[in-house]
Amino acid sequence: MSTDTLRLRPPRNRVNGKAVLWWTANALLVVLPLTAALVVPALFWEEGRPWLLLAAAAIGLPGLAVTVVMPQWRYRVHRWEITDDAVYTSSGWLWQEWRVAPMSRIQTVDTKRGPVQRLFGLASVTVTTASAAGPIEIAGLDSALADATVERLTETTQATAGDAT
Amino acid sequence: MTAHTDDGTPAVQSPAPLGDWQGLSTLSVWANTAAGGVPTMVTAVIGTVALIAAGQGAWALAPVPAGLALTALMTWIELVRLRATRYRVTSERMEMRSGILATAHRSIPRDRVRSVDVAAPIHARLFGLCAVTVGTGEAVGSGSDQLQLQFVTAEQGERLRRELLYRRPAASGGAAGATPEDRAGGAAEAGEEVEVELARLDPRWFAYAPATTATAGIGIGAIATLLGANAQSEGRMWLWLSERAGLPDSAEIASYVMARLLLVVPTFLAGLLLSGVVVLLAVAVETWWNYRLTRSADGTVRLRRGLLTSVSLSVEGRRLNGVVLHEPFVLRTAGGADVRAVATGLSAGDDRRTSAKSRLSPAMPRARALELSADLTRTRNSPLEVSLAAHPRAALRRRFTRAGIVTVLGAVAAAGAAWLHTLANEAFWEAVYRIEERLSPVPVAARSVAAAPLWVWAVAAVLLGAAALWYAVGSYRGLGHGLHPRYLVVRKGMASRDTVALERSAVIGWRITRSPLQRRAGLAHVSATTAAGEGVYTAADVGLGQGLAWAHEAVPGLLSPFLVRVGPSEEEPRPT
Repeated sequence: MSTDTLRLRPPRNRVNGKAVLWWTANALLVVLPLTAALVVPALFWEEGRPWLLLAAAAIGLPGLAVTVVMPQWRYRVHRWEITDDAVYTSSGWLWQEWRVAPMSRIQTVDTKRGPVQRLFGLASVTVTTASAAGPIEIAGLDSALADATVERLTETTQATAGDAT
Repeated sequence: MTAHTDDGTPAVQSPAPLGDWQGLSTLSVWANTAAGGVPTMVTAVIGTVALIAAGQGAWALAPVPAGLALTALMTWIELVRLRATRYRVTSERMEMRSGILATAHRSIPRDRVRSVDVAAPIHARLFGLCAVTVGTGEAVGSGSDQLQLQFVTAEQGERLRRELLYRRPAASGGAAGATPEDRAGGAAEAGEEVEVELARLDPRWFAYAPATTATAGIGIGAIATLLGANAQSEGRMWLWLSERAGLPDSAEIASYVMARLLLVVPTFLAGLLLSGVVVLLAVAVETWWNYRLTRSADGTVRLRRGLLTSVSLSVEGRRLNGVVLHEPFVLRTAGGADVRAVATGLSAGDDRRTSAKSRLSPAMPRARALELSADLTRTRNSPLEVSLAAHPRAALRRRFTRAGIVTVLGAVAAAGAAWLHTLANEAFWEAVYRIEERLSPVPVAARSVAAAPLWVWAVAAVLLGAAALWYAVGSYRGLGHGLHPRYLVVRKGMASRDTVALERSAVIGWRITRSPLQRRAGLAHVSATTAAGEGVYTAADVGLGQGLAWAHEAVPGLLSPFLVRVGPSEEEPRPT
């Protein structure tokens, strides 16, 4: 009965190490303002202070935990690989996702650089197919590598016939 | 067999060759004016009467001129829109220019046209017009993959439908200079002759229309609307009615009802059900009257239906990548099902609308639906009938866990309600009665609750738990995945069970997702991504190894470079 012997192997390449910093920054950008919005009024409003500080702790401590754990975890999960025939990625941390798309079905390939990402010299590669499942994203590549990857993917997909549906 | 095409004769009518820019039908201004103006004027007249009745003589002069002005304005905007909209079909593209302030020019290569939807709502139909929607299957942004002409004459609509989807079997590019309408005319002739009928309406199928969980709910909706209107008028509506018709007033009804609760409550519920049945039957007849599903020589599948709004939807055969057997719970219990398409170019914004647009049949007997699906997929035995593999026990445990959570929450809520019930005193109930009497001509709900003994809450909690358990088992039984030589098949759902057969060649990728709990239980969602239909079709909560083996076998080669074998696999060599 054990058909349970097939597993997905992880894709070959890790993303850039600086992605850990980028994810940390992203988490802090959410956690810090939320916590500050509770702590700052607590400084001025004496009666409400215990409650505000309690709320700040309720948001800040889990937020801090996520900020510490999530980037490392993501770095272990996020991987990518491009073969001659397909793009293969894994991503996520608690909820994880593996995606495979064959070269012949790729419609567009783009790079994306958010402001925080640019701060760390990173870029994301977005691979779109005709499916409503959404694009495949390789987040946190070195900027130059991302450009090279897009170029390579574009060349390969253009060489493949068909209308990608 | 061509009784349906009163305009089906070959294209002798061609006022302008299709390659030229042409406008929408001028009659569409009248159709839209009628659609917008008639309700406006009716409202205006009602307003005038109401104002006169209320003794506001001076104000009564306002509504009709205002309505006329509004209608005139709408007509003028329509005229401008009509002038601004132009379209043409060349041998390579379909183009449309539109817009007054911001002009838009949209252009679709003809080989990207996946579906043509010709719809004639009642106000357009009166003027012999129809709306043509061309679907391309290029899902960019929200719903922008479509091009809509509103309205053209029925004749032009029919011509566009035939022409846009027709593909000459081979060497279509040969005579690039040939006039398009020649080709279309010839194609149509050939197409109509060898059209195969896949299904035709059997009026007995309407018996399935009320088989929905919403039947009573829709009845409630109809009755609630009346009650709402009554409440809006502070109960005056019913007072007025009862005075005129000699009916008893609210207080009398209430005492009558309270005296005969056992008779009135079932009658009331039966009334709800009955009004739901009437509404649903009416909707089904309007939607599916004249239903015909045909396939023409070039493989295009054409759906025709509708009593007041007639709809004709054509899907290129090559883009019909699968079928769905849709069985909502009540319909399933009644032995019915309907068939939907998994096709490119039918997407309409969100999943629900896509699914509604993809319906290829009304609710019909399950066996007939399977037969139809076999015809649609051109297989001897429907791929929907392949035997499906069960999912691991862990999937059942997950569902039991969820049922357990629901049961606990239900028990807590019931306990809370029971506690509040013991706290409530006479004064509280009096207040509730007064509110209810205002809202409802038959104020029995609050009294029944007040009169109910405390153990009712316990019974409610137990019933909820039992229902949750039953639902868990049902949804586990609904899970399944399998393979047909040309199709992959997934099934899931309890409240609404969908069995999907997706062409294996239409799979354009895989997506495997796992939540923390799924990883612990060794489960995964294994989804095939495709350009057709909803875009993703998932084998939910399948064993990871099982799901990967299935995906690997369904589309050989795509997943294999990324798979490894682990664990004690030596004794079980797989035949792949």
